[in-house]
Amino acid sequence: MSAYIDQFPAEAKVIRSAFYTSFIALALGAAFGLIQTLHRTDIVRVIPSEMYYTVLTAHGVLLVVTFTIFFLVAIFTWAVTTSLDRGVEDIRFTWSWYVLMSLGTLFAAVAILAGFTDRTEMSADVLFTFYAPLQAHPIFYIGLVLFVIGTWLAGADWFRSWWAWKQENPDERIPLPTFMVLTTMIMWYLATLGVATSIIVFLIPWSLGLIDTVNPTLTRTLFWFWGHPVVYFWLMPAYMMWYVMLPKFSGGRLFSDPLARVVFVLFLLLSTPVGIHHQYLDPGIAEGFKFIAMTNTMFLLLPSLLTAFTVVASMEHGARQRGGEGYFGWLGALPWRDPVFAGMALAGLMFAAGGFSGMINAGMNINYLVHNSLWVPGHFHLTVGTAVALTFMAVSYHFIPQVTGRRLASKQIALFQVVLWFIGMTFMSNAMHRGGLLGMPRRTAEPEYDFPFETAIGTVGELNAQIALGGVLLTLSTVLFVANMLITALNDPADDLPSNTIPEPLSGSEDAPLVLDNLKLWTAIAVVLVIFAYSLPLGSIVERGGLFGPGGDAFPMFIEFVEGTVFGLTGDSVSSLVNSPLEWLRAMR
Amino acid sequence: MSSDAAALKDADSPPDESAIERYIGHDEFDPIGTLALIMVYFLILVLMWLFMYFVEFVGNEPTVVGMV
Amino acid sequence: MNIHSYEKVWLIAAMLLIVGFIATITYGSVALGITMVDDSEETIDPNALEEHERFGDLGVHQTDSDEYDVHVRAYQFNFEPGSSALGTHDPIVIPQGSEVTFYVTSPDVIHSFSLVGTNVNTMVVPGEISTMTAEFDEAREYGVVCNEYCGSGHHGMEGLVKVVPEDEFHLFSVADVDAPESIEAGEETELTATIDNDALQTEAATVTLEIGDEQFDTDVEVDAEASAEATFTVDTSDLDLEDADDLDWTVTVEADSPATLEDGSTSGTIDLETDEDDEEADDEDDEADDEDDDPNDDDESTGDDE
Ligand code: HEM
Ligand SMILES: [Cu+2]
Ligand SMILES: [Cu+2]
Repeated sequence: MSAYIDQFPAEAKVIRSAFYTSFIALALGAAFGLIQTLHRTDIVRVIPSEMYYTVLTAHGVLLVVTFTIFFLVAIFTWAVTTSLDRGVEDIRFTWSWYVLMSLGTLFAAVAILAGFTDRTEMSADVLFTFYAPLQAHPIFYIGLVLFVIGTWLAGADWFRSWWAWKQENPDERIPLPTFMVLTTMIMWYLATLGVATSIIVFLIPWSLGLIDTVNPTLTRTLFWFWGHPVVYFWLMPAYMMWYVMLPKFSGGRLFSDPLARVVFVLFLLLSTPVGIHHQYLDPGIAEGFKFIAMTNTMFLLLPSLLTAFTVVASMEHGARQRGGEGYFGWLGALPWRDPVFAGMALAGLMFAAGGFSGMINAGMNINYLVHNSLWVPGHFHLTVGTAVALTFMAVSYHFIPQVTGRRLASKQIALFQVVLWFIGMTFMSNAMHRGGLLGMPRRTAEPEYDFPFETAIGTVGELNAQIALGGVLLTLSTVLFVANMLITALNDPADDLPSNTIPEPLSGSEDAPLVLDNLKLWTAIAVVLVIFAYSLPLGSIVERGGLFGPGGDAFPMFIEFVEGTVFGLTGDSVSSLVNSPLEWLRAMR
Repeated sequence: MSSDAAALKDADSPPDESAIERYIGHDEFDPIGTLALIMVYFLILVLMWLFMYFVEFVGNEPTVVGMV
Repeated sequence: MNIHSYEKVWLIAAMLLIVGFIATITYGSVALGITMVDDSEETIDPNALEEHERFGDLGVHQTDSDEYDVHVRAYQFNFEPGSSALGTHDPIVIPQGSEVTFYVTSPDVIHSFSLVGTNVNTMVVPGEISTMTAEFDEAREYGVVCNEYCGSGHHGMEGLVKVVPEDEFHLFSVADVDAPESIEAGEETELTATIDNDALQTEAATVTLEIGDEQFDTDVEVDAEASAEATFTVDTSDLDLEDADDLDWTVTVEADSPATLEDGSTSGTIDLETDEDDEEADDEDDEADDEDDDPNDDDESTGDDE
């Protein structure tokens, strides 16, 4: 019985580094977040409005790429080593992917932050979606590629551990945490094919001037091919924490191991063939493809809805073991004063709300109401910005002592911090949702126009005040978190750390059908589903606009160049095919 | 109360063993509280969906319609 | 694999929820007829919008009795037509009770064209044409925003759609004004304005001439997709000329109705010859005749920019 650092001192060091990198990104991201909230609500404007987009690019990239994914690789390394009870195969390899990811981040960050100074023409004010023909400096794209390659190698590292373990334990089930890591990584390999193709084949050559034009719809579609599954890449480590850690902190056990496996398999299968739901309002994509993406997306709700049940049931098990009674009374028996538990439970609660606004986003025609309005940041600050971020912060209070061997600086402040995040996000996100319904646009430095936004209840001023207040509370909460982590890292060593264990589920892996562990089968099905979902839309986009687009110029956000050439291929054969069912139904009326 | 006792324990220790009053095995455990809670959530989802779709969305005219 | 019976209940409820969502959306698509922006238009060369039949002729066009097409170019950082806040372009004016199809494209980067507080909202992607048809039953104004980041001036990208009562809506424009370059002070003179009507029905236009500090109105009937002339006879001795050496004039059509894109005004200046500068005026006469058409260029640019 010992803490993680005693079991795996070398791995603990890599994990620690990844945690620290992610915390730096979080701190910087929060600072930019504060500037944004105060700027767009016109409370304090410390930067010129053109610079808002440099800030927003940095906020997006640092938080949803650097913060989340560095945290993920730390947690996944912990999960694989702990659940297989073996160290990594070669620690130098482990360091190499960490270094590659850091280098990638550094490249991208330099390109983005250069946008703040006029001394260099370099910049990358393209936001984290980098839609062409907006163009960033080549090192922005190169940085992203290095980062992604780093994550590929990290995945290889975990697969390698599993293969080595399997040689020694040929008849055992894949331990649940490792199973979660492997399925998530298979999804990631599949998903990153989209963005990697977009960047390597089109955007890098284009930003270097080797090709003149790109097809904006094609690069955008390839982006979203990755852009939806990436949200599950953020979410899966949080889910893993809810499945394997939350029961432990609730004083109970995971309700069902088999269902947890089913859920991760469903995510592997369904996360990727849905990305077109981000393009419901794009021209150049047939309505039929949008409809297919919509139904797939709706079925992707299933694993999350199942998770809600399993996770809450595991908490209830803990509460009942702790003496909880009644239909709802058991909630009071949960360890709400423990910041790790409270943070995760509040994150889960916010995810229930974020899940609802996500259902609206998924609803194809209702997208006319909310698309690109402030509703959307309202939604994802509940999901990635709280369900994921707050879970990560909460579990850090457990993991940082585990990987440093040091005592948590302050548990009281930790508890205050997670509650403060919850309150701040309630203000900010609620007001963002409401503002979005009025038609307030997202990604806008000065959402002040010649015409008014019509409010049914309340005023625009009141919404702005809530957004700004929420943003300030969130920033404060981040400061408390980072300070607590910093002091912990420098704190005295603790010799009474809890041991690094994962309790057995109530219904264990022996109840899970063997087929669930057949990763080859699930990979094959996932590939087939992606081919079904994407070959026709991609084919039609290329048929219409050509591989390199129907002409147009680059809009370098760093330097003006390139004249456009014309490619003129159009076609609508496939799209008329996929549209026919809806057209037929309409005609039936 | 036992839960408070757990909470006051050292920060890093998860409030597990000590606070547990009884052990409940798989077969004795019926997650009735979870079912109750999640049905409330279900109701909220249905009502909010209907409100968002038919009031906020359909009532937000003009709306893009096909050329009839 | 044993699944607890409560969890089975939830599994069924979750499936019902999913099917219910899909059913609602299908109902919206089929029964309410809400269609998605799609690939019904062919692609377009973003560098040659002027050569396109629609984007070479921006603005509002009538296609049937209550049906209009609006051709809009969304570019960094304006809508043409639409962005009227700073006077860059005209607002989009359409009649109440009409069915309007917007055709929007971009010559540069991705934008959006979104009518605030409505379900008229689309991405605008270079190389693609977004089309949306919607009915406008209420006479009011709608703000238009670009809600996709399109560069450092993105937050200033806005426009206006004005839905006006049907009887205030016209597709008139002043095509030409025939006015003398110079006259003797105190003489009588004549100005003739040619009024185009792009609407698909005959309409009566009130044409207004402002000259000096006087104003004259005249009504003309203009046939569908045709033009008519309005003639003003002005006796300069009735004008309060004081010691002015020239006379400014402006012709507008339906001045009080909100301007449509094609609605124009045109103006010019008439030299006033007094006894002292008689000789000079004679010399300038020939040049003046050549410049006769000048004011009309102004008018053209209002309607057919690009
Ligand atoms: C201190 C806490 C935070 C504050 C005050 C904050 C504030 C904001 C605001 C106001 C916006 C909207 C800007 C606009 O559309 O004009 C925004 C966008 C965004 N935020 Fe945050 N945020 C915070 C934390 C987070 C976290 C933890 C995440 C994710 C892990 C996150 C991810 C994002 C993303 C992805 C965007 C969209 C960027 C884009 O549109 O390109 N934020 N944030
Ligand atoms: Cu998505
Ligand atoms: Cu814009």
